[in-house]
Order: sequence, then structure tokens, then C-alpha cells
Amino acid sequence: MALIEFADFSFKYLGADSLALKRIKLTIDNGEYVVITGPSGCGKTTFCRAINALVPQFHRGYVAGNVYTDGKNTREYEVATFASVAGLVFQNPENQLVTLDVEKEIAFGPENLGVAPSEIRRRVEELIELLDLEELREKHPHEMSGGEQQRVAIAATLALKPKVLVADEPTSNLDPQSAEAILEIIAHLNKRGMAVVLVEHRLDLVAKDASRIILMDKGRIVADGDPREVLAMDLCEEIGVGVPKATQVYKRLKTRGIELGNVPLTGVELAELVQEATSR
Amino acid sequence: MIILEDVHYSYDGVYTALRGISLQVDDGERFAVIGANGAGKTTMVKHMNGLLRPQKGRVILDGRDTKFMSVAEIARKVGLVFQNPDHQLFLDSVKKEVEFGLRNIGFTESEAAQRRQKTLASLGLEGFAERSPFTLSGGERKRVALASVLSTEPRFLALDEPTIGQDAHQKNQLAQMLAEMNKRGRTVVVVTHDIEFVIENFPRTIAMADGQIIADGSTNMVLSNDEVIERCSLAPPQMTLAARALRNVFPEVGQRLTLLSELEETIMGILGGA
Amino acid sequence: MSFLEVFQYTRQDSVMHRLDPRSKLVLSIVCATVSMMFMEIIPLLMVFTCLLPLIAAAKSLGRWAKSMKGLGALLVFVLVFNTLLSPMEYPFSYSLSLAIRLVALMTSFSLFFLTVQPDQLSQALIQMRVKFEFAFAMSMAMRYVPTLGQEAYAIMDAQRARGVELDKGNIVKRIRNIIPIIVPLIIVSIRRALSIAESMESRGFGVSENRTYMEMLRFRKRDWALVLSSLLILILVIYVRFFVGLPGWMMWNLPF
Ligand SMILES: Nc1ncnc2c1ncn2[C@@H]1O[C@H](COP(=O)(O)OP(=O)(O)O)[C@@H](O)[C@H]1O
Ligand SMILES: Nc1ncnc2c1ncn2[C@@H]1O[C@H](COP(=O)(O)OP(=O)(O)O)[C@@H](O)[C@H]1O
Ligand SMILES: [Mg+2]
Ligand SMILES: [Mg+2]
Repeated sequence: MALIEFADFSFKYLGADSLALKRIKLTIDNGEYVVITGPSGCGKTTFCRAINALVPQFHRGYVAGNVYTDGKNTREYEVATFASVAGLVFQNPENQLVTLDVEKEIAFGPENLGVAPSEIRRRVEELIELLDLEELREKHPHEMSGGEQQRVAIAATLALKPKVLVADEPTSNLDPQSAEAILEIIAHLNKRGMAVVLVEHRLDLVAKDASRIILMDKGRIVADGDPREVLAMDLCEEIGVGVPKATQVYKRLKTRGIELGNVPLTGVELAELVQEATSR
Repeated sequence: MIILEDVHYSYDGVYTALRGISLQVDDGERFAVIGANGAGKTTMVKHMNGLLRPQKGRVILDGRDTKFMSVAEIARKVGLVFQNPDHQLFLDSVKKEVEFGLRNIGFTESEAAQRRQKTLASLGLEGFAERSPFTLSGGERKRVALASVLSTEPRFLALDEPTIGQDAHQKNQLAQMLAEMNKRGRTVVVVTHDIEFVIENFPRTIAMADGQIIADGSTNMVLSNDEVIERCSLAPPQMTLAARALRNVFPEVGQRLTLLSELEETIMGILGGA
Repeated sequence: MSFLEVFQYTRQDSVMHRLDPRSKLVLSIVCATVSMMFMEIIPLLMVFTCLLPLIAAAKSLGRWAKSMKGLGALLVFVLVFNTLLSPMEYPFSYSLSLAIRLVALMTSFSLFFLTVQPDQLSQALIQMRVKFEFAFAMSMAMRYVPTLGQEAYAIMDAQRARGVELDKGNIVKRIRNIIPIIVPLIIVSIRRALSIAESMESRGFGVSENRTYMEMLRFRKRDWALVLSSLLILILVIYVRFFVGLPGWMMWNLPF
């Protein structure tokens, strides 16, 4: 059984004139690192919401097809059922911190689900250690930077022990250094075995870690596959995806008749490929 | 011309947000302001349009000290676009929204209508005139907010972090629009963390840290400085990393590579010659 | 508004902070009641001098003093206004006691608010059988007040940059000028509320009948001791004030 399965799923928000998702069909398995990208308004957020039943349970509208998360149909179970399967992290960290201290924030989810206090305490300490939150223990959310807030939000989500972390543009409100720190944490979590679905525009920072990139446009999936394959497509430029600069150079060279052999995703990879090409 | 002379500012009297900023902005210029969070970028930009007044030092706009001008008066010359469009949209049609700012700073009804039409057309928003801003998407609302500032045709236009949360396409659109404004003689100042955006669109860059300007000059020069990159909490751009990695093996690769096309030509040179 | 700081929780490790919020609530109410029972300068000063060590025990004297300085203008106003308008025989003396009473009242309540974190307060309410959703809504309101304040300032800046002159014109114009501030504030808040709700829902908010709590507040011996001694003092003061009567020297007042 796939961890997440979209079976011809379509969705239109109440009052909207067009479908936000159109016949989405795909599966995501344990351990994958899926990056979703595409122009704004293409349905990425709606896709994330559909994974844990926020669509169609919290955001109502027209639905066709089904989504099965951990084998359960999201049309039949309430959002909370999926809390310990899919952990969602959203764009604006400030709107995800609902208490005044880090420990309480991490405890919030498990408390809601009625986990035993001693177990909650254990998870809190474990996550504070894992996400390096020790020095934030005494801080009010207001005194934290955006990056720190987002780290706490991730910890609060992980406290429910989800099988997949679904992060919807978690770094888009952050400065580059905090963004990189968050993306490093996400890559680290994936290496420890957690499946990741990440919506991100800055492909130069994430393409190298992803096992798969999904390109969306106007509610549809227009490409889905290995990062190097997807980013090498001309489609990316057509719909306006931020292809990493190194990959862009590769593509330009290719049109001028120079084939580097492999598609680079980072500057260093590009340099290595050039070096290999000269020694051939 | 805007001149900042040794500007100091503190919000609470204890911690100083600006510590002696001196800067000259010429007519028709286009430059970027970079810096880590809390470096004082927003505080500095707010001094340019009079939202904040220096506690020490002076801000001189076209030869006049802004101390003696009201924000509304300055707003005719210096437009400031904030990051969140929802902080300014409040009327029930795009048309009214754009005319509101114009009427505020003293344009007559017919002048305002004319300018509104012109601005909406130039931003591809003609079809939206009667729509309520609240039914538009985030990207569209951003353009409406921009239109409401641009319609007054300020000679100086400052944008505070316009690239945050934007996709590649939106960033290109923004860049094109700014280039056009600039070509028509407007001065454009953009605060941003997006280093690639700076490299591709701005000839001059000002780097700030701890309330001071730590570098001011050509973008190429400022961004080649590792210390600046570090103190501004930026990550070195991919092109620089690629160039550095290449330089280790091919000493002929230049020190100051930043543009994509330059790197492309360099690699062509290396591989073509091999 | 700096005098409000005395009602704002500060994280500290002190005897007062470690007490259970419920026992501090009793203490605060007792102190306030006692201050309300007197109109004479000497007893009020006595109450006041008893309160100061409590503030000191909360390691918050500095903050308290700062707030009182902020309150200065208001106190002067109370003094002048009452002295001029009071029909009493000794208007200044009366006004002075009013001012001391105000300070004593504020200090009494600040004992509670300075040392009880909003989350703790909601936990206390929950354990006093207030419905969880309600108690949580209250602590969340406290959580987002500063955010709302910041947002309001950002909106004012954005509108001023468009030529809205907030502090100019007659009263009608000024009231009209509030609209460009209020409307965005409401809309931004609604958007925010929706996205907060989404995040809470995703973390299972309001689903389980048997919600657990990582930490329950525990009423310890020291809390019982505090509550009992507070109540004893209250009874004693009531007895003296209403059944014995104050000794003459306590009734002293300024002769003007
Ligand atoms: N709550 C909502 N109500 C109505 N329409 C919505 C809502 N959220 C998103 N939409 C619409 O659905 C489409 C997809 O939006 P979204 O999933 O947020 O895209 P993305 O995250 O890729 O920017 C857009 O056209 C958007 O306007
Ligand atoms: N309204 C305010 N009140 C108090 N301090 C502020 C306020 N706005 C900004 N600051 C402080 O001033 C410094 C500079 O802030 P800002 O100009 O916003 O920086 P930037 O835009 O570069 O992130 C920061 O240390 C910040 O905490
Ligand atoms: Mg989105
Ligand atoms: Mg700023």
C-alpha cells in the first residue's frame, strides 16, 4: 500500500470558478523526498491540504476522485485522523505557533490526541534535542526570528510522529541563511527515514536532495520524475520554474552543441562535469 | 536626488537601528539594498519617504530637508511599496483603490481617473478595474498595491522585499517592470535577500549590517566580497561557487564571475579550446 | 502606556513565580479587597508597605517602579482633579488617599499578572473546570495581541505612505481616516485566523474527548499555606475595620 495515493482527484473551492486540482493521479511511498514546484496559483497548497483531508473537510468544495492517505479515504475520515500520518508545516510560521512557549507548542498536538503525559514529555525533550531548540526554551514566539519560529513549528508537527512531513513553502518568508537551515533539517529528517513532500521555489537549494520533482501548472501535474530529468525539460522555462543556474548553463551549452554528459544541479557539479569533459 | 547625511535612528532609545547612514541616490539610478534581518534596511527606506525622521543627521530630498515636509508631500516624489499588499488594500474595487492614493495627495477627480487608467494598463490590470481586490490572488493583489503607488508617478520608487514568496515567473515580471520604470527615468531602490535577482537586475548594491552601510558600489564588486556575503547572511550564488570550483583547475577563469552568460562563455572557452 | 507593563508576565525564577496561579489569584483578590476597604492614608500606606515585599519576592521591583513612573501623569491628574472638584472637607488629603489606593490596587493585581504566564492561567482555568476550548481561546488571544499591534503599525505606515494623514484635520476627517486602517486590519486578521485554524486542525485540535495535559498544575503545601494565611489576614482586617474600629492615630489626615 502506498503511503499517499491520489486517484483521479479533482477539487474546486466553494465559490471559485475553476478547478484548483484537475484529475491528479500519483502515489508517494515511504522514504521518498518529493519536491513540488510550479507557478503560484497552480494548486500546490491545495495538493498539500488534500493529503491530510483539510481539503475537502476544512476547505469545502466540489470533489471528484479520492485521496488515500495511509490507506484511509480522506473523504471519509476527519482531519485529526491524519494528524499522526501526515504532518503539515505551512508558509507563515507565526500562524502556527499558538502557545507562548516551545515546550507547550510541541506538546499541543499529542495533548489533543490524548497521548500519555510521560510520553509527551519524552517526545518534547527528544525534539528539542533533535531540532536544537534548547536556547529557545525560554523565548516567547515574538522574540524569535522567522527561522527559529519555523523550527519550532516543525518540531510541533513532528511531535505527532507522522510518517510524512508535508511542508508548504516553509522557507519563503525567511532570509537565505535561515532558509538553508530549515532545508537542511528537512533533508536530515528524510535521511532518517521520514517521507517528505516539500513545496519550494528555490530549486537550487533542494534539487540535489530530492528523489523526485513534481511540476504543476494550472491544477495539473505536467511533469513528475527524477530531478535531473525534470529540470532538463524545456517545459520548466515555459511555465516559469526557477531552474537552478547550473542547470541553466548546462541547457544553454547544449543548444550550442556542447553535451556535458549529465545534468548538473549545483555549481560544483557543473564545474566537475566541465572538468570531466576536458579530460575526455 | 535624495541625500542621507549621517542618519541615526533608534526605536526605543536603547538599541540603535541606524548608526550613521550616509548615502546619495541620484536621479535615474537603480540599486539594491541587501543585509541580514534586523540590519536596518526597512528603517533606512522609511527615512527616504519621511515615514521616519532622523534623530540625528539629515535627509535631503531635491535640496530640501525632509524635516520641513509632510509625508503626503514627500509621497508625491518618493513612493514606497511594502511587502504585504493586504496592509493597504481596503476599498471594494481596484479602481477606487488606485484613485484613493491619487486623491489623497491632491489630484483632481479627472486627473486621478486618467492616471488610474494609464497605470492599470501598464501593469496589465485593465480587466480588473471593477473587481474587488479581495477576490484577487496574492500575486494580483501585489500588483494592485504596486499600481496604487505607481499611479502617483513618483520619481523615486522604493520596494521593501518585493521578491519574498514570489515564483520565478513573478520575479521576472517584477524585474521587467522595474527595468521599464527605470528606463523612463525613475529611480528604483529594491530591498531584497535574493542575490540572483540583484545580480541580474541591479548595477549598484548597498550592503548593510548592524545599522551601518558596510559596502556600496558596483554589484559585481560588492557581491564578490565574501565578508559582505557572510555578514548579510546570504549564500554565495551558484555561479560564484561554480566559478570557484573551475578556478581550482583552470586558472584562467576570472576572479569576478557573476553573470550566467559570462560563465557560459568561459566554459565555451575551456571546452572549445580543449 | 508603559504603566501597563506591570500587568505583563515576565519570565523569572522566583518564589512568587513558582506558586500555583490559583493561590496567587486568591492572594491578589485579598490584597485588592483590603485596599478597597480603607479610605484613610495611614492604613493604605500600611497595605502598600506590605505589598512591596511581595513584589520584591517576585524579583520585579524594577519593572514595578518603571510602571509606576509611567503612571505618574495619571496620578498627578487624579490628585489635581479631585482636589479641585472634591466636596470633601480636606480635598487634598482625600485625593492623596485615592491615589495611594489606586497604586495599591494596581500592585495587588500585578502580583498575579506579573507572575502568571497566560498559558498557565488557561491551565488553571481548565483545572477549575472551565471548558478547554474557552480557556485556550483566551490564552491564544493574549498570544496574538502583540502581533495584532505590530500589524496595526505596519498598516498605518502603508497608508501614510499613500498620503493618508492620520493626525490632521477635524474630528470627522480623523474618524474617516480610521477606515483605511481598520478595514485591512480586519481582513488581515480574518486571513490569519483561518490559517491558524488550519494549523491547529492539522494537529488534532478539539478532536479527542480525553485530551491530556503534559503538565497539570499542582496545589502544594506552600499554596495551601498562602491561601490560608491570605484568608486569615482578610478576616482579621474585616474584624478590625468593621467590628473593632480603627484606632484614632490611623484616622489621621492632612489638614487641607
Ligand atoms: N480558500 C480558497 N478559496 C477559494 N479559492 C482558493 C482558496 N485557496 C486557493 N484557491 C484557489 O485555488 C487555486 C490554487 O491555489 P493554491 O493551491 O493556493 O496554489 P499555490 O499554492 O500553487 O499557489 C488558485 O486559483 C487559488 O486562487
Ligand atoms: N517598530 C520597532 N520597534 C522597535 N524596534 C524595531 C522596530 N522596527 C525595527 N526595529 C529594530 O530595528 C532594527 C532594524 O530593523 P529593520 O530596519 O526592520 O531591519 P531590516 O529591514 O533590515 O530587517 C532591528 O534590530 C529591529 O529589531
Ligand atoms: Mg501556496
Ligand atoms: Mg525589513
